[in-house]
Amino acid sequence: MIGDYFSIAVNNLLQRRLRSYLTMIGIFIGIAAVVALIGLGEGLRTAITGQFGSFGPDKLSVQAGGVQAGPPGTGVIDPLTTDDAEAVEDVNGVKMVIPRMVRSVSVDFNDISKIGYLSNMVDGEKRDEIERVLDLKIEEGRFLKDGDKNKIVVAHNFADGERFKKQMKVGDSVLIEDKNFDIVGILKKKGSFIFDNIILMNEDPMRDLLDDHEKVDVLAVIVEDMDEIGLVKNRIEKLMRNRRDVKVGEEDFEVQSPEQALGTINDTLFAVQLFVSLIAGISLVVGGIGILNTMYTAVLERTREIGIMKSIGATNRAIFTMFFIESGLLGTLGGIVGVVLGLSMASGLSYLGRMFLGSELIQANFSPWLIIGSLLFSFILGSLAGITPALQAAKLHPVDALRYKK
Amino acid sequence: MRFDYLRYALNNLSNRRLRSWLTIISILIGITMVFTLVSFGQGLSVYVDSLSEEMGSDKLIAQAGNFQTSTGGEFYFTEEEVDLIEKVRGIEETTAYQYGGIEIKEDDVKKYVYGVGVQTGDAQKLMDEVFGVEVVKGRALKEGDKQKVLLGYNYQLPDKIFEDPIDLGKKIHVNDVKFEVVGFYGEVGNPQDDSNVYITQDGWELLYPGESKRYVNIIARTAPGEEPKEVAERAEKELRDFRDQEEGEEDFFIQTFEDAIETFTNVIGVINSILILIALISVVVAGVNIMNTMYTAVVERTKEIGVMKAIGATNNSILLIFVVESGMLGLVGSGIGVILGYTISNAGGSIAASAGYSMLQPVFPIELVAGCLLFGFILGAGSGLLPARAASRQKPVNALRYE
Repeated sequence: MIGDYFSIAVNNLLQRRLRSYLTMIGIFIGIAAVVALIGLGEGLRTAITGQFGSFGPDKLSVQAGGVQAGPPGTGVIDPLTTDDAEAVEDVNGVKMVIPRMVRSVSVDFNDISKIGYLSNMVDGEKRDEIERVLDLKIEEGRFLKDGDKNKIVVAHNFADGERFKKQMKVGDSVLIEDKNFDIVGILKKKGSFIFDNIILMNEDPMRDLLDDHEKVDVLAVIVEDMDEIGLVKNRIEKLMRNRRDVKVGEEDFEVQSPEQALGTINDTLFAVQLFVSLIAGISLVVGGIGILNTMYTAVLERTREIGIMKSIGATNRAIFTMFFIESGLLGTLGGIVGVVLGLSMASGLSYLGRMFLGSELIQANFSPWLIIGSLLFSFILGSLAGITPALQAAKLHPVDALRYKK
Repeated sequence: MRFDYLRYALNNLSNRRLRSWLTIISILIGITMVFTLVSFGQGLSVYVDSLSEEMGSDKLIAQAGNFQTSTGGEFYFTEEEVDLIEKVRGIEETTAYQYGGIEIKEDDVKKYVYGVGVQTGDAQKLMDEVFGVEVVKGRALKEGDKQKVLLGYNYQLPDKIFEDPIDLGKKIHVNDVKFEVVGFYGEVGNPQDDSNVYITQDGWELLYPGESKRYVNIIARTAPGEEPKEVAERAEKELRDFRDQEEGEEDFFIQTFEDAIETFTNVIGVINSILILIALISVVVAGVNIMNTMYTAVVERTKEIGVMKAIGATNNSILLIFVVESGMLGLVGSGIGVILGYTISNAGGSIAASAGYSMLQPVFPIELVAGCLLFGFILGAGSGLLPARAASRQKPVNALRYE
């Protein structure tokens, strides 16, 4: 029975082949655009959040707050100190606190001066923890060890010879802020903008070099028991409120899990993606109107046919189903072609991006939900657009319909 | 003669009223979006142009650090370097400032905003000129002011920064140091700049001991008749020599305001064009809809075409009939789209203004309106071309016989 409806629908669509194709083109342009944009957007988001490295769920970060806008660092008003780090370490449930610093410094090598990021390494077992958490691997030479004074480890991008027109090698010396340091190791490439541009130095020589003996940029907190992470977070917040003398709701610092920290960036990117997809999605509305139009025309053209069907016993319901399925089919077929086209467009673009720009940021990322969702959406769109025309057809009076002249 | 075509087209369109309206709606959606996006894009570029006019094309800006530097404080210009820049041939006067996040407290309510450390006297006048602001209430900062602040526009408004507006002479806490409010700036048009707090170098020293007179930016006015680009290069060379750095390795850069703004304009332009391109997708879909409607019209009116041809209508006049008809669909659609876009843009503009972004205002150049209408007509006529050709090529006999 339902099979009959489908074969009638397909027959009717084939009869007005040109019109069916044009209507479907309207749908698939929209679906292809939305699928491609969402796919590329997802890829961009994964790529960007991936830049920050993967942290485990047992970590918290503590940062001094400030003005949001502007270059990072400039907005911080009351920086954290090494005292804060010690105090947080004493909080119940905290296993370890790693004070982190990232500063921009001038780097001189091969008579070329550039600006790079300098970051600290901490003595003892915390050193292993940093290496583990940041997933740093040595390509050549060795990591820093306790007591290394004039030694540094440089990231891959310093060593590839592009920036300084000469490869940095283990044993070479580099001028940082006009002081000499020896390279003892080179990091493996991580594919991250930050960690591929970093220079690691032990904390003591770094503080001497910068003449800064107390400021800390971020505290990385590792908790003892992952399940109590919320509790520990509250305790740290309470402690910091007391230390900084601020009330609840007026905190000038932030305690976050890395997921939360990434969440902010993620939210912004998501909002942009949503906006762009919405604009593209409006073309789907236009496509829907196309279906509506086609279906109204079909009802009109087939008025006499409907009259005949009704006079030999077709129910209102049967007529409705007939048109409803036809328009649902228009939407779904358009959707299928659109999804295929969108997938290939986005993959093609990401391929081109990698080929010609060497950029990992342009990558397509399709979840099965995106594909299922767009197919479902195109089906619903088609069906919705078909409802009023199908109702109109179903309500036709058989006698009037038979009498209708084109 | 021409009007006959038009009247005939309108008649036919109103005969199939529902279908015509649906087609028109599908066009107006796309045109509305494009119109809105373009009007805001234009508005922004007008704003930027007015900025560059206010700031003047005779200005240079020097920035400490480079594009990669993150944390502030490590790259700066010293007073000596500012003097050096001021003495460069072709430079008339300079002003320098630094900025950073600060905490302000009033009645136990704390807020975090940007503090700007400025120079007083003529230097501050130059800065006001560059940023297009004036002290609208009270007075400017002057030499010898220590615990005095000049506040941005938003502090005078209730519920913007603090619940109550702040009055002249009031004492507020800046990083826990008491400062007296001596004046207010006029509106800049974005919430960040309008909540800035301006302090003298002496005041900065009080807040950040040892960090006063370490400037992040220097703005210089070039003398009339000088080519700002050349002066910028000269200044860059002098400072490079002074710092004993090689070309291409500076940890500062100097450019003309025009260049600085151009980068910004280009970015906005690219983003805006991408959005417009995406919005154009729905216009393309609308074009497909028009084509569909017109093919249907041709099929429906096959007999009519046969009759017309039989009594002497040429292929060309049949073509024209259908092209005019679909062109009308496009024109009416874009006409309504323009009206709708105008309404939406204005509404969006006033929402932005009430949110503090009065710089984000749409503009409606006549070219935009004319362009949209023309585009709509061409889109309609273009989409109707194939169906119209199909209609014009029918054999009269076959067309008459069509059931």
